[in-house]
Amino acid sequence: MARTGVKQHSWIGRVFLFDLLAGLRLTLGYMVSKTVTQHYPDYEKWVPYQRHRGHHFIKTNEDGEVNCVACELCSQICPCDCITVIPFENEKGDRRPKVFDIDLARCLYCGLCEDACPADAIKLGQEYEVSTTNRDTLVVHLEDLIAAPRKAENGGVVRPARLHRKGGLRSVLITDPDSRGQDWWTRIRRGK
Amino acid sequence: MEYLPNLVPLLIKMAIVVGVLLLLPLPLTWLERKIAAHIQQRPGPMRVGWHGLLQPLADAIKLLTKEDHIPAEADRMLFAIAPVVALVPPFLVFVAIPFGDPIQVFGTEVTLSLSDLNVGLLFILAVSGIGVFGTILAGWASNSKYAVLGSLRSIAQMISYEIPMGFSVIGVVMLANSMQLTQIVAAQQGLWNIVVQPIGFFVFFVAGLAEAQRIPFDLPEAEGDLGAGYHTEYSGIRFSLFMLAEYLVVVVLAFLNVLLFFGGWLGGPAFLPASVWLLLKVGFFIWVFMWLRFTFPRYRYDQLMAIGWKVLLPLSLLNILVSGFLIL
Repeated sequence: MARTGVKQHSWIGRVFLFDLLAGLRLTLGYMVSKTVTQHYPDYEKWVPYQRHRGHHFIKTNEDGEVNCVACELCSQICPCDCITVIPFENEKGDRRPKVFDIDLARCLYCGLCEDACPADAIKLGQEYEVSTTNRDTLVVHLEDLIAAPRKAENGGVVRPARLHRKGGLRSVLITDPDSRGQDWWTRIRRGK
Repeated sequence: MEYLPNLVPLLIKMAIVVGVLLLLPLPLTWLERKIAAHIQQRPGPMRVGWHGLLQPLADAIKLLTKEDHIPAEADRMLFAIAPVVALVPPFLVFVAIPFGDPIQVFGTEVTLSLSDLNVGLLFILAVSGIGVFGTILAGWASNSKYAVLGSLRSIAQMISYEIPMGFSVIGVVMLANSMQLTQIVAAQQGLWNIVVQPIGFFVFFVAGLAEAQRIPFDLPEAEGDLGAGYHTEYSGIRFSLFMLAEYLVVVVLAFLNVLLFFGGWLGGPAFLPASVWLLLKVGFFIWVFMWLRFTFPRYRYDQLMAIGWKVLLPLSLLNILVSGFLIL
């Protein structure tokens, strides 16, 4: 009521419905102000912070081999039992995973596997578009995990993007310097 | 046989009016969603067509292909005819609404109304009062507590607000000495009724909002407490008929506000045809109705009754009294 400049119980304000008019003025202001939403996934996409826990990936060393030593600690600590690891011995005599499957439909992205890993192999990356029209594709294998996007290097921004029409449900980032920075939401108009 | 030459233009006019009215809710739903979105600082539908312009078409296809479900315990016949009963009055009202002065087409004079009734205003108020039957029948036939509650509220609301609505236009009728809408518009030459009848306009506007069951008076279909009110059990094409009726009532109200208080097609800039100017004003009022909808919360039921009986009714009576004295 302070905004109307008329005291709440003033009869002038009541008769001429000043409080209703103040509400109308506010919404009219919003109507002509700029929208604050992201045009996801058609034109814009959010790049998450580095600490974001998205789609898993497995790191490789300089020889191109996976860091994973198939110790199965991740599969042991996993609270929803969604990681399957089967070890084998490769030609160099190293212990490596033969099978490394993660059921993304069951995963709750808690990051405990990342914490438990002694070999700096499994990490949770920036990818968050895992929707699909076929449930079977939600079980990802070792090669998918190696190819998955890494952690975002400079996350926390909205970047121009476009929907990947042929690839289906993912939107593709377009590298464009004109991106909204980390705290773009602080500029949202919230009245006075 | 002397009516025969008039029959062809009449049929053409009827076809145009009915066609436009049937298609009008499509752009109006788009407009309503866009206005809602921009008030909430979001863009609204953007993906189907340019800025979501084809979204209503997609919605229409979805509604028409949905299952047409009738509840097991429902009164099937009443359930089936209720949407039609709700839809007929808004169409009927347009019989009496004029769209401009008579124009010359191929050397013959064509009036821009289906029928310029000499009791036009009375006809409109009477016919729009029938609209409540669709709501009552829908609520009763659905055999659902939400639907019945919605229609009960709607009956009480309609009766309460029809009275101030009827009284508020009496001042206008007194000024024009006629109930013919073309005469009422002609009487506003030079001075629009809003200047001399501000209270009448206020009462008519608020009562009209209540008649159309728009926010802040949308108690018959209060989503928060009644599901969807009287059309809770409706789906598919029958539901879309109710939506059609609701949007048409809004259009009717916008027309009435413009014709009765804002000079109809008078007072426009010279380069605009009078009818276009009328439609611009009507569009403005439709926009105002939507703006109100996304600004205000819903009134409580007792507040609704209090506003109707304790505020609007005395105001409309006062308006009649004052206009009577001033005209004398």
